[in-house]
Amino acid sequence: MTDRNDTTAPTGAGTDAELACVAEIRDLRVEIDGRVIVDGVQLRALPGKVTALVGASGSGKTTTGLALLGAYPSGARVTGDVRVAADGPVGYVPQHPASVLNPARRVSALLNDIARTQVRDLPRNQRRAAARERMLRALSDAQLPDAEALLSRYPHQLSGGQQQRVVLAQALLLGARVIVADEPTTGQDALTRSRIVDQLAALAARGIAVVLLSHDLDVVHALADEVLVMRAGRVVESGPVQRLWRAPRHEWTRQLLDARSSPTGHEPLPDTGQAVLHVRHLTARHRDGAIGATVVLRTPELALHPGESLAVVGRSGTGKTTLARCLAGLHRDHDGQVHLDGTPLPRSVRHRSRAELAAVQYVFQDARAAFDEHRPVLDQVARTAVRLRGTDHLSAAQEALTTLISLGLRPETTHRLPSELSGGELQRAALARALLARPRVLICDEITSGLDTVTRRGILDALTDLLRDRSDMSLMLITHDLETARLAHRIAVLDAGELVEQGPAHRILTEPRHPFTVSLMETTARLEAETAPPGAW
Amino acid sequence: MTGLRSFVTRRMLLGVVQTVAVVLLVFALTEALPGDAAVALAGDQPDPARIAALREAMHLDRPAYERLAEWAAGLLHGDFGASVTSGRPVSQYLADGFGPTLLLAALTVALLVPAGFGLGVLAARHEGRLVDRLISSLTLAVYAVPEFALGVLLVTVFALRLDWLPPTAVGYGTDLLGHPAALLLPVLVLLSRPVCSLARLVRAGMVDALAAPYAVHARRYGVGGARVRYAHALPNALAPAVQQLARTIDWLLCGVIVVEALFVIPGLGTVLLNAVAERDVPVVQGLAVVFGVLTVVLNLGADLVAHRLAPRAGVAA
Repeated sequence: MTDRNDTTAPTGAGTDAELACVAEIRDLRVEIDGRVIVDGVQLRALPGKVTALVGASGSGKTTTGLALLGAYPSGARVTGDVRVAADGPVGYVPQHPASVLNPARRVSALLNDIARTQVRDLPRNQRRAAARERMLRALSDAQLPDAEALLSRYPHQLSGGQQQRVVLAQALLLGARVIVADEPTTGQDALTRSRIVDQLAALAARGIAVVLLSHDLDVVHALADEVLVMRAGRVVESGPVQRLWRAPRHEWTRQLLDARSSPTGHEPLPDTGQAVLHVRHLTARHRDGAIGATVVLRTPELALHPGESLAVVGRSGTGKTTLARCLAGLHRDHDGQVHLDGTPLPRSVRHRSRAELAAVQYVFQDARAAFDEHRPVLDQVARTAVRLRGTDHLSAAQEALTTLISLGLRPETTHRLPSELSGGELQRAALARALLARPRVLICDEITSGLDTVTRRGILDALTDLLRDRSDMSLMLITHDLETARLAHRIAVLDAGELVEQGPAHRILTEPRHPFTVSLMETTARLEAETAPPGAW
Repeated sequence: MTGLRSFVTRRMLLGVVQTVAVVLLVFALTEALPGDAAVALAGDQPDPARIAALREAMHLDRPAYERLAEWAAGLLHGDFGASVTSGRPVSQYLADGFGPTLLLAALTVALLVPAGFGLGVLAARHEGRLVDRLISSLTLAVYAVPEFALGVLLVTVFALRLDWLPPTAVGYGTDLLGHPAALLLPVLVLLSRPVCSLARLVRAGMVDALAAPYAVHARRYGVGGARVRYAHALPNALAPAVQQLARTIDWLLCGVIVVEALFVIPGLGTVLLNAVAERDVPVVQGLAVVFGVLTVVLNLGADLVAHRLAPRAGVAA
């Protein structure tokens, strides 16, 4: 293998047969320190078509997608051929659109810089107006209403959806013929996902070649024309989406598709008398700088019984996490009472006793951020038992190891540093850490969003096992994903900070009463329509 | 915008409280010092009877709270009171001392801003390469030298050995602008450390900003290198530098005692030094008020600029 980078191949080398294709990758191989990230990848992006790359996290999707932009990880050895028709610009919509928006500049800053270069031929006095007109058109093409006002805002004043559309508008203004969208729906609720699907479909309808990197198989099925299934840096299978869904040829594709099948719902538990956790008249506020406090959550009553699992669902920003944080003592600014086994819990985690701390445990969405990067995972997991239950170090380590193994981690993995574990492994470790406190209530805040389907399935199965094995423990699942909510006995629905509906899971899922729950169900159903793999539910 | 206005109002009120606290503290500390203006004036022959007479003449025999209350009442009408030793109005002292200090500060800032930001951006642009390592090590080395040491060194070399520049501003009074040669060394000494800290801050901010995804994104979409550097990356690197700049201006305006003493410049620092030596409490208090207000206003200004540069961080009072 040579150490040269021949990705900047001359353009116009395409033969007549390839005329239609606006971007092409041939035999791409990317290697860092002898570790192969991507190997032998072929990809053709056709105008007006959506090409999807699917696969678990770390399968090389992003590396392949970024190769189209000419961006590679630092220190990478790259061979192969990446060709973009007429060297046209390639647009990029990253998973976190806020990361490419300059926090110190208004939305108009980059748009203006792009537009300026396009109006150079005009007389000087007409340039400004022409550039502005182009910017406004790009924003409205990206389905952003009220573009005038938007231009003078800062990125942090926009919602996540608006940020995504602004980044899209940048690509449209640039005149990109290929747009790479990296995990555009990951961590989004059903309504947002369906909006993004429409958005990307509209891009393809404009004749743009969309390269979609995603592990959201519902979205891939709804959008993609051509699908490439990746595993460990290789394309294991590719073909039209219908064929792939109907008759997957590769074992891995089958696994990916099967992992989507929904878990079986639980029958509601018989009413067992006293609730382990009881919330009454909870009103939580957020201090908002000088403006004062805004009420973000109102929960008249919510109870969690021993051995029961409760899913709290709702769109992003509806106060689900705030509710969980109130229970865990992480959000102090609230009225109302939270009772644990009939006794009131102190509002702040600082005023809770060790036993009270151990009783309510919290598992965060971002497992990586929840671990100290300098200490082995096992030590950090064991520490919970030492701190909260006064166990001695040796038996704590023993218990940590047993718990980690029972959650599916390999013994040798547990001695590694968090950076050497995958997202799914770390989330299991975070679960184990919470379990070592022997909690009465385990709160899981979006612990599967951001994971690919196979990993998510694994975590959800682990949770199901936990509920079965620890019959005295109650589980609270914070999620925007109705698939995950199916796992629970009961579901509570939050909309704009109000608890709009709660009841047994099968009742909420089959005959929702509140209009918001109905719309949430319908959107999910629409995304899932006809996407069921053969043999699944 | 109402949020910003109430932030400014709250900061102003807090600033008034802080200034009052500084004045009270300064008054209490000068009272606690052994001896007073009468003792200082009596000089080498401390005759108790003479001291008592002086004390009575200076109204120092009255209780401390009365003197403070009288002075504070005068301040409300804009009257800083009069020096106990000379009887001249304190405002006269302040006006005389402010000229040279302001001149030095203005000249220093005028050179500091382009030099600090320029060096910082230059180093960040060549991160890890020779230019960066040169600038980084040089700024660290110069920063490590205290003002008095650098001042003595420069005076020794350029004034005493080479005789190119006057060693001090003695004899020029407050008309320093007429003798620019006398200003060169003081400004150089004042510049030395702030340039280094500012350049290092700007460099660190720029290195981060240039590697940030938004800068990469702008470059990817065909925005030119200089434009990415100055229009997209620099605004993000400015916020901490602006705070540092405000502290530096504050430091300069409050009279840099070491430099003024070294070059015999009759600025606010010299006024303060003399007033403390003479236990001239009204002058010290007047200076404390001026310094307090300057500090509050400059920091508020810096916070507003930083808020404009990093709007996401919000305003934290």
